[in-house]
Amino acid sequence: MLFPILRLLAVFLLTLAGAVLVIQLLLWASPGDPVDLVPNGDEIRAQLEQEWGLDRPLPQRYAQFLGRAVRGDLGTSLTYRPGATVTELILPAAGRSLRLLIPSLLLAMGLGIGLGFATAGRTSFVRRLAQVVSVAPVFLLAFLAVHLLNELAFYGMEAGWFGRPDWFALPDTDSALKTALAIAVLAVGSGALAEVHAAVEDEMVMLRNAPFVDAAVARGAPVWKHVLWNLLPPLATIAYGRAAFFVGGLVIVEKVLHLNGAGSMLWQACRLRDYPVALGITVLAAAAVCGARLLGDLVRIAVDPRLREAAQ
Amino acid sequence: MKATAWLGVGLLLLVGLAGVLTGLLPEAWLPYDVVADVSPDQAGLAPTAGHWLGTDHLGRDVAWRLLLATRAFVGPGLLACLLASVIGVGAGAISGYLGGPASALVRYLSTVTASIPRFVLVLLAIAINGNSTWLIGAVAGLAYSPAVAEAVFGRIDSLKRADFVLAAQAHGLSPARILLYHLLWVNCRRMVGRHALNLFGYLLLLETTLSYIGGFGVMEPQPSWGNMLAFEFGYRTANIWGVWAPAVAIWLTIFCCGLVSEALAERRRA
Repeated sequence: MLFPILRLLAVFLLTLAGAVLVIQLLLWASPGDPVDLVPNGDEIRAQLEQEWGLDRPLPQRYAQFLGRAVRGDLGTSLTYRPGATVTELILPAAGRSLRLLIPSLLLAMGLGIGLGFATAGRTSFVRRLAQVVSVAPVFLLAFLAVHLLNELAFYGMEAGWFGRPDWFALPDTDSALKTALAIAVLAVGSGALAEVHAAVEDEMVMLRNAPFVDAAVARGAPVWKHVLWNLLPPLATIAYGRAAFFVGGLVIVEKVLHLNGAGSMLWQACRLRDYPVALGITVLAAAAVCGARLLGDLVRIAVDPRLREAAQ
Repeated sequence: MKATAWLGVGLLLLVGLAGVLTGLLPEAWLPYDVVADVSPDQAGLAPTAGHWLGTDHLGRDVAWRLLLATRAFVGPGLLACLLASVIGVGAGAISGYLGGPASALVRYLSTVTASIPRFVLVLLAIAINGNSTWLIGAVAGLAYSPAVAEAVFGRIDSLKRADFVLAAQAHGLSPARILLYHLLWVNCRRMVGRHALNLFGYLLLLETTLSYIGGFGVMEPQPSWGNMLAFEFGYRTANIWGVWAPAVAIWLTIFCCGLVSEALAERRRA
């Protein structure tokens, strides 16, 4: 049991190190000088170059960034909140974002499984509808939902059906409805639901034709129990395959619905050209995706003994 | 292919043609001036013969802006598809043919790029290098190419010892012909086409999202389906098409990409 886990951990660390390298390569390949992005860059040029390692070749710069990141030092904010360390800025924001991310991933999986059970093996109206709705980009769904809710509330208030709801007018007020909307939109939009649904359905069709399900039917044992348990490993794969899309969608949802989290902080940092904060959040996002992958793989080897044996 | 898929192809071709034409023609030749067309006395008009989709709250023609907005994503989308297909197919074919460390490298690169959210990567790139839709296309294409490479690699790796390859070798066909025609053209073109279509839809999503949120992407007064939506938000005018036309356009175009991509999927023989 120990060896497969260590192997997964090694894969996690290698992938994350590679992701950081890709980000560093992006910066390195950019024709501009990052110091120029800083409002008073020329005055503190020497200091910034030393801090970011710009005066050194790429491998050393990469090693320096990685070495500091391991110790939790991602630099100091320049314009977003000057002087604050990036770590103290982004960690609380990431916590707030996780409260959207995890429920929306779970909701997408739940909806996918539910619809998959309902439609497995046949093209149905429900399936088409899920596809049609899910195709809309996250921002469009959020926009339309906000637009419709506001219109409805407006007409309701004008007609005297109800007083001003506490969430009116979206997205400017903070309310439970807005958070729920964000979670739902993230779980459905940009093809999330359609892809999860299709993947779950494929797995289910395969499972239903599996010999052990036939055996269960012959024994008179409940089939859904067998199907659900065997669905867990592919579900873990689907979930971590979607994790990167959800993290990307998070930036959009937080920005469109004016929510306060790592995603809107990233956008703001990019607008203000706060290079260390933007970089820090990107690395954190990559770490979150790699972490999801690690978690999914751990679930897989915990559930499926064949994978454990294969890794030995 | 089914009739609906052909409908999708037709719509995508129309959008593509509009994007290429409005993108290539000099600004002076276009019968519509983006900057000059502001007439507050015609604000929020419902559709008429002069304004097919009515006007927005500044009195600008919605139909023309909808048409001109295609140039914001068609060119960059094609660039992204070209980059992803060329690099992806090249790397996938070479690693699939060589095997060994090259294939491990492709798989590693694919895992690594898949672990950075593409939206975040694109945002970072335009924040550093300046805002440009072409840059969005280039970064999205580069970031997508390892996924194409892995798919092509998987296909070639699974087929390179197939009977038809052995037969071709026995006939004395050159390895280049076997690789380029028998493996890539016959067996990978639909798959690569699907990836390209998905990427094109994704690029439309990227561009409209960035333009909608504002600050990056296409900026006013230049039109984008994204910033047209954002611009009409909160204005209650008589013309509902100011909001619905770009929303439907985004929805329909991405839906068509999915539709055609689905039609291109090879049916597995049961």
